[in-house]
Amino acid sequence: MPVDSFKYLPRSIAAYYQTLRVDRVDPIPWTALSKPLRECRFGLVTTAGIYDREREPPFDAEREKRQPIWGDPTYRRIRRDVMQSQIAASHLHINTRDILADVNIVLPVRRFVALEEQGVIGSLASVNYSFMGYQPNTNEWRERYAPEVVALMKDEAIDAVLLTPA
Amino acid sequence: MLAQTFEQAGFSTVMVTMMPFWAEKMGTPRTLGVEVPFGHPLGMPGDSEMQMMIIRAALSLLQDASGPGAARDVEVQWPRPSDEARKDWQPLEASPIIKMMREQAQARAEDRRRET
Repeated sequence: MPVDSFKYLPRSIAAYYQTLRVDRVDPIPWTALSKPLRECRFGLVTTAGIYDREREPPFDAEREKRQPIWGDPTYRRIRRDVMQSQIAASHLHINTRDILADVNIVLPVRRFVALEEQGVIGSLASVNYSFMGYQPNTNEWRERYAPEVVALMKDEAIDAVLLTPA
Repeated sequence: MLAQTFEQAGFSTVMVTMMPFWAEKMGTPRTLGVEVPFGHPLGMPGDSEMQMMIIRAALSLLQDASGPGAARDVEVQWPRPSDEARKDWQPLEASPIIKMMREQAQARAEDRRRET
């Protein structure tokens, strides 16, 4: 059975998504994997709106409450050795309870450290990234914040990225 | 757009998503579809076996995909009943945009009542 993309959506939202028109990116960009997984350095990127409460501030949910068609386009850094107790979330569109119980369901730092130890992957980046997925206007994200994260990941010599929109 | 941005920048990406329909429409380089509630792309909290199963499927796809638009599904048995899970992922308080849309719909309904 193929995955039903609408199984967990309320009917009204599912109907909206099914009819929404999107511009397909053409051609789809492609970067071939240049080496075996066991030699690749991985970065993790989620849109779950998580942050490290001991190091960085939350995403700006207060402005979104005042301005519902705005979403915070910035990013947060999550270190690979982050403790679960340091993880907090500011995302007004999902219930973050399960993420606060186990960050690995959106940003699998522990699992990738294990894969590194097993030699399945080369290594996990020292820093991984979190965005907040509600972005009605992506201009600032595209022009400023995504390029900043790209540059930081290049500095860390990342080869491959696991993306987990939430 | 997330995937295209990072792929374009020179990284090989694999996206795990509960909305492969959407990913296909947008044109995503490598998509692993999972039938899980929002906020849970890699599975249940505390279930490292389920998380690893999904992650390994994503890594296989990353390794095997030979060209853009590669897509696969991975089968996941979600342990909570569907009706419960459909409510469970949603925020306790409606998001600002949903509140705004509800208020607008109410205002339109009131306008119509006044007109009749």
